[in-house]
Amino acid sequence: MDRPVVSSASNRTRWRAGMSERMLVLFIGLFLVAFSLVCLFPFWLMVINSFAVDKSLAVSGYAVWPSGFTLKSYRFLLQGKQIFTSYGVTASATAIGTAAGLAVTALFAYVLAHPKNRFSGVLSFMTYVPMIFGSGLVGFYLLVVRWLHLKDTLWALVLPYMMNPFYAFIFVSFYRSLPYELNESATVDGANEWVIFFRIIRPISTPVIATIGLFYALQYWNDWWLSLLFIDNSDLYPLQLLLRQLMSQMQLSTLNHGNVLALPPAEGVKLATVCLTIGPIIFVYPLIQKYFVKGLTLGSVKG
Amino acid sequence: MMRSMLRDIARNRFLYAMAVPGILFLVVFSYIPLAGHVLAFKNFQISQGIWGSDWAGLNNFRFFFSGRDWMQVTFNTLYLNVLFIVFEMGFALLIAIFLNEIRLKWFKRTIQSVVFLPYFISWVVVGYMTFILFNNTDGLINHALQRNGVRAVDWYQTPWVWPIILTLVRIWKNAGYLSIILLAAIAGLSTDYYESARLDGASRLQQMRYITLPLLKPQIIILILLGIGRIFYGDFGMIYGIIGDNGILFPTTDVIDTYSYRALRQLGDFSMSSAIVLYQSVMGLIAVVTFNWIVRRIDQDSRLF
Repeated sequence: MDRPVVSSASNRTRWRAGMSERMLVLFIGLFLVAFSLVCLFPFWLMVINSFAVDKSLAVSGYAVWPSGFTLKSYRFLLQGKQIFTSYGVTASATAIGTAAGLAVTALFAYVLAHPKNRFSGVLSFMTYVPMIFGSGLVGFYLLVVRWLHLKDTLWALVLPYMMNPFYAFIFVSFYRSLPYELNESATVDGANEWVIFFRIIRPISTPVIATIGLFYALQYWNDWWLSLLFIDNSDLYPLQLLLRQLMSQMQLSTLNHGNVLALPPAEGVKLATVCLTIGPIIFVYPLIQKYFVKGLTLGSVKG
Repeated sequence: MMRSMLRDIARNRFLYAMAVPGILFLVVFSYIPLAGHVLAFKNFQISQGIWGSDWAGLNNFRFFFSGRDWMQVTFNTLYLNVLFIVFEMGFALLIAIFLNEIRLKWFKRTIQSVVFLPYFISWVVVGYMTFILFNNTDGLINHALQRNGVRAVDWYQTPWVWPIILTLVRIWKNAGYLSIILLAAIAGLSTDYYESARLDGASRLQQMRYITLPLLKPQIIILILLGIGRIFYGDFGMIYGIIGDNGILFPTTDVIDTYSYRALRQLGDFSMSSAIVLYQSVMGLIAVVTFNWIVRRIDQDSRLF
């Protein structure tokens, strides 16, 4: 009978409810921490094993904590020129594609959303169709290879993704949310549409431009579909294709011409390549994350 | 009519000029390739070009549909996509609703950043990560099994486990991203509902179940619909990045996109590949229109078009 006398039945249930509430929050917290660890774990394995000595990789395979550390894989990788070539290709494709893609998409969407445009319906329809009816691999392949003659050129990695209908619609829904008076006052002042776009609209659409720009950049940086189809020349291998070729056991010698004596730690080199490939993303990630979140919110609004 | 249209174009030439590059790219990269579908009805010879090659009637289709492959790749495509949509969505919902219950700002933000991270990684890298974990000889999982006295499993020679592994990989990569979209939607919900629910003595679990979940329905429907609209399109980047040319795993992992890719790039059979792709495009279109029609009947506001 050590229970206080005041503890009525209703008090006890409230106490119990509070307890189960706290248990629930604890469970939720643990669940989220567990899932986060699962998300991070493969990254950890990549990074830590890229510094592992050959013996560790050979004896115990990929380990959560290798038995010894070395920079050999990185040194080997950075001695060759392929990694720099590939970095150059990926960086160029990403830079050109993102800048040009943004310009093309933003301008197109601006016209699509413009109240003066009498062809909005037609343009909208024209933009929708590719989203729901695939144009097909074969026609696309023939177009790029046989008609545009872009095989083994940087343009094959850039041009096909430059006008993304989905991103265009995100732009459209943003432009439609702007007050038209902005536009009208400038028209009265005699400015033409290009001036209005670059002087008035572009500065206030920075959040969307940032978001879509990041989408484009991510797409270009991570793409390996275009290079798989159109690039055979190793001087034009983007990072992702280089990685892909390394994984499918291509001879490592292409990485490091003429350096036969320094036998590469094959697994280590692959892991190091992965780390160098995802490195920039991991670095800019904290900076771009909040824009992404903002943009996703925009994107979830139906265009 | 024509005259007034031309006059309109002339008057607003600066405006319309802005759309020209976009239209050009759409036409070149989305419309001209449609001509490739013609090859499905031809016996394509590179030397004779698209228009010069002989007509083959429906032979390419007859060939494609006479084998058993088409059933397998169609089934795999649909089956995997359904698995992906259901589990990705379910898991993303769970994370979003859970995150919404967290009051500690820094904790919430950290978790959000971490679960979002895998979305930024290419499928090639994900394929490699999968390899590190499931590799037959020195993969992490087999090592762990062996240490505990369990016999190692030849994962890359066991087709039936791959739908599960691929689903787990998809959850790993996309659930965080989807949960952030959903969380943004939750943040937009009115707090009134929760306040009155709390006054009525609803527990947190009840609030999640009876307020958050029902209010998220429109977002969930849109996301599912976008998935269903592409249900006939396999995720080439994913499947090829993880499975590659490992023929042993084809029975459970080969999708229409990887199949047509191999027909084109490895067999060099353009006509066959086009037949497959045309079949895919038509089925995809039917899927979109049908599901849009169904949704329009159930819920006017959620339809796509």
